[in-house]
Amino acid sequence: MNTPADDNNHLRYAEYVLGVLDADARAAVAHEVQTTEAAATAVALWQQRLMPLTEEVVEVEPAAYVWARIHHALQLNAPARGRPRQGLWNNLPLWHWLGIGASAAAIALLVVVTVPRTAPPAPTSTANPSYMAATIRQDNGVIGWTATMDPKNARMVVVPASPTAFASGRAPELWLIPPGGKPISVGMITPDQPTTLALDPALVAQLGPKAALAVSVEPIGGSPTGQPTGPVIAKGAISGVPEASAHPRKVASTGIGSGATTAMLNAPDTPGMQQKTATETDRRS
Amino acid sequence: MSATRTIEQQELNQLLIEIGSEDQKAFAELYKRTSSKLFGVCLRMLRDRSEAEEVLQETYTTVWRRASSFNVAKASAITWLMTLARNKSIDRLRQHREEQLDDPLKLDETPDDQPTPAGHAETSQAHQRLQGCLDELEPQQRSSVREAFFTGATYNELATRCKVPLGTMKSWIRRSLMQLRTCLDQ
Repeated sequence: MNTPADDNNHLRYAEYVLGVLDADARAAVAHEVQTTEAAATAVALWQQRLMPLTEEVVEVEPAAYVWARIHHALQLNAPARGRPRQGLWNNLPLWHWLGIGASAAAIALLVVVTVPRTAPPAPTSTANPSYMAATIRQDNGVIGWTATMDPKNARMVVVPASPTAFASGRAPELWLIPPGGKPISVGMITPDQPTTLALDPALVAQLGPKAALAVSVEPIGGSPTGQPTGPVIAKGAISGVPEASAHPRKVASTGIGSGATTAMLNAPDTPGMQQKTATETDRRS
Repeated sequence: MSATRTIEQQELNQLLIEIGSEDQKAFAELYKRTSSKLFGVCLRMLRDRSEAEEVLQETYTTVWRRASSFNVAKASAITWLMTLARNKSIDRLRQHREEQLDDPLKLDETPDDQPTPAGHAETSQAHQRLQGCLDELEPQQRSSVREAFFTGATYNELATRCKVPLGTMKSWIRRSLMQLRTCLDQ
């Protein structure tokens, strides 16, 4: 019944599914599958025939960060690691507001708003800051984003500080650059809105004053190679408080509400922040 | 056994349909149930953990985006997922093809002819049937087909690995494929 031409076609589809074709021949069949129903059906039949062989392959559990990366790449909600935390930390409009309009007055106001009068002073460790921040600047010095990291709860909030336009099909991807190391993808960020990112433990371990953050332009789903492929448009070191801008460095637990997430701004210790340190000390005593 | 398997298949189909309407919980569940299988396949082909992780990530991001095009009448969920993972792994291998050809160590690997777990109670009827048809092939041809499927090697690479002329390898594989089709479509 089959003509030689039929057989040849069948062979190409079978070879495609088996995986023996070289790059060009593969691409040709892949194109046919996209464009003709007959090719799509023939290939689907071969997949049904051969794919049961995959049952023989030993299962290997992938590392947990792969799922986190998938989540980041697709900009899905934070992975469900227990109940989502409530409180200021989750208050994106607040971060947005801080990122763009931060001022000493804003910080002072926040302190007033959030410090309960009866709360005892929260224990804080200056040697091991519980929060870190970075100002991610464009080459021209303009602040593109601010990032605040909460290593304990493995999350980061990235807030756009100035509008950045992206070509269609392109989006910003955030990278962590460990000292002397290769960039590690933190995730895709929303160009015009604050993004909360869950951090996998391997990434949290790399956070520190010697590491930096950078933003590159990538395809919507994220860099296909796992390394930045597009231009790096902004960079910034991770530190305590980013320069004179009044970004919160540490947020300490007040001991009420949902622990660390009921936040107050606590004793920043860079010179530019001395005044607020005094203010806060006053409030506490 | 096959009843359990059928239920599992149907559940996976259902999950994929739910993912098609952007159900994140279904996506997490599908990942939990299938990622180790897919990762095993990627890892076996790519033989490099971080590359396999990247391909696995690409695979599942594609699953999320294309789930709405999944048609249960055309393929089962697991076939659809495995196809995606294998295609992405093979594409990745082809990108590195030149490097591989330059690297005699990679070509020197012994052909993959592990004993198959055909007697395993856990393999599906479809697998047992395929295994039965593979068993009818000449041993060398059977081992070439298996090597091709699991490693994603090209004809050229297979010929080098098995130390036979390219033409011989092509005719082994092609004859095997036609034989398999006849056997399976009976």
